[in-house]
Amino acid sequence: MFSKMLSRPKNTAAWRLSIWTTIAFAVGSAIAFGIVYYMVSLGIRERSDQWLVGESETLKEVSNATPRDNLYQRVMEETAGNAAHEIPGERDSENENQDAVFFLQIDNLGEPLWYGPNNERELFVQAVHDLQPGSPQTLKIPGNPVPYRVVVQEVKPEGRIYLGLSDIGAVQLLHRLTRGFFIVWIGMVLLGFMISFLSARRTLLRVESITQTVSRIGSDDLSARLTESRNADEIARLSQTFNRMLDRIQASVHQLRSVTDSLAHDMKSPVTSIRGKLEVALLEGSAADWREPVAEAVEGLDRLSQFINTTLDLAEAEGGALALRKEPVDFGALVEQFVDIYSPALHENHHQVHVHVHEPVTVDVDLGLTNRMLTNLLDNEMAHLPPGCRIDIEVVARENNAELVIRDNGPGFPAELKAHAFERFVKGKESKGHGLGLSFVEAVVQAHGGNVEIADTPGGGATIRIVLPLAPVSVS
Amino acid sequence: MRLLVVEDDLAIQEFLRRALVEAGYQVDVAADGRTAEALATEGIHDGLIIDLGLPDGDGLDLIARCRAQGNSAPVLILSARRSVDDRVRGLEQGGDDYLTKPFALSELLARLRNLLRRANPPQHESTRLRIGDLELDLVRREAKRGDHILQLTPQEFALLEYLCRNAGRVVTRTMILDHVWKMRIDPATNVVDVHIYRLRSKVDRDAPRPMIHTIRGVGYVLKDA
Repeated sequence: MFSKMLSRPKNTAAWRLSIWTTIAFAVGSAIAFGIVYYMVSLGIRERSDQWLVGESETLKEVSNATPRDNLYQRVMEETAGNAAHEIPGERDSENENQDAVFFLQIDNLGEPLWYGPNNERELFVQAVHDLQPGSPQTLKIPGNPVPYRVVVQEVKPEGRIYLGLSDIGAVQLLHRLTRGFFIVWIGMVLLGFMISFLSARRTLLRVESITQTVSRIGSDDLSARLTESRNADEIARLSQTFNRMLDRIQASVHQLRSVTDSLAHDMKSPVTSIRGKLEVALLEGSAADWREPVAEAVEGLDRLSQFINTTLDLAEAEGGALALRKEPVDFGALVEQFVDIYSPALHENHHQVHVHVHEPVTVDVDLGLTNRMLTNLLDNEMAHLPPGCRIDIEVVARENNAELVIRDNGPGFPAELKAHAFERFVKGKESKGHGLGLSFVEAVVQAHGGNVEIADTPGGGATIRIVLPLAPVSVS
Repeated sequence: MRLLVVEDDLAIQEFLRRALVEAGYQVDVAADGRTAEALATEGIHDGLIIDLGLPDGDGLDLIARCRAQGNSAPVLILSARRSVDDRVRGLEQGGDDYLTKPFALSELLARLRNLLRRANPPQHESTRLRIGDLELDLVRREAKRGDHILQLTPQEFALLEYLCRNAGRVVTRTMILDHVWKMRIDPATNVVDVHIYRLRSKVDRDAPRPMIHTIRGVGYVLKDA
């Protein structure tokens, strides 16, 4: 499953991620080492400069106090030798100390006085020629890779003494430091790379497993789900989000399938019956006989086209694509007008209709849609009530809303439908409708910013309550 | 009366042509906008029936071009688009009436008659309608069948008046709702039939022969015998 990732790690995000963190870590620690290196070398120089200044003062005092006789040279050499014993840092042997320190006195009284590496006096005499008294200075000796720090002192009656200390000790110390750091640094970088690569891969393998699962989910199988780990990190939340999304997709696909099934069923039966009736018309011999089946076929087509229209209206309304052409409408008068149209048909079924419009109620609505909504509501009453029911229709203004309440004392909504009454294609077992009426009512009401609810009428029956916002009162 | 039918679906074009010829009109047909425009510029048509979905452009453009050329014949728009927006746009562009597919042929004929009558108004509007032994006094809102005064509600009178004005021609349920109650609605139930049933029980009950007839699958017609 993850073979691709394992066989070609260079293409993975884990690899790139760990490369970059490792580079950042390596560069950062190298910079930190650079700073430490600089501080250490500064400290070492300070110590050796202090020693140089101190010892050169001593030598100067000794030189000034010692008469220039035959003993002078021995005294100075001994003093320089003593000083060499006390140079800062550790030395392995006396010879090294002797190589690390030089003492030179130059005056006009005789040969320069020399204490230091053997046979190199002339080289040093040449080199110190330009040095002036003052704070310690750096001196490069030709042919010697390591420079010296040198202090110059004036001595009486005339002449100068030069005390020099090779940087060799510092160089060696810093060299050891660098080598030590480098070894540790390489180890740390490798270890850091491994740790970051492994942890990044571990994390990203979870992402990879999400990818694998999601790519396995086709339109056929929406049931696969990601395993949700217990910790609540980002990837766990990603899995949860994916699972919620899959739940929703599965629900919509399921809904879509049931809608398509109902649609196909609702369209197939009229098409079949229309086709059948027309075929009968073709089979029958006499001219008078075909009128009836053809008329029935036309009626069937009317019902079919009405069904298509409602389905389209509903799809539009639910998609929020309804372009509302709102106008102020006297809602009470409109309802009364509808009941007027419907009342003969309602009386035909021995229903008693009572309309109560308590006050003029003006709403800002799309008249065409509102008409269709009221048609749906009254058709719904006609279709579902057994003969001889009482229907109370009431229009009132309540707070900022207009309320239309249709209350009947019929059998009421079947309990199992109550929660889904406004969903498409939901209809009672006895219903001859296509189950779109109340869905359409809800879509229209919601498009106008209102809401609709169903309830039981106290004492039996169904109540539909529609709430629409009142038209804003114009101040004239 | 000479009409121009612009419709690219040849099956629909043919049945429209046959129905209109049957109804007594002279009919020219065009299947695309270019042919239609050429025919319309002749200015010999009293009315145009134009389908909006044409192969070479929108029917609305065709209407606009005809209007721009000074053709003022009434236009009945046919369309499969049924949103209110399209309807309003069609009427704004110079259409005079709008019918969505599928439509009842009788409704198309009725709308067409309406358009043509509006374009060529009759000299005077009668205050009385008489079909056979049925007589309507439009001022006093009174109806008589023979000597017998019919007790009609205002709604029933309006319905009867509409049937009488279209005497001999079939009217559909939607046309009745549209003209009598001014509502373009499509009830799924038999509201209109009940109104007709009640009206018929008053108009035809005591008469030797019925005047209000049901045409199955289409609608109703009022005619003298």
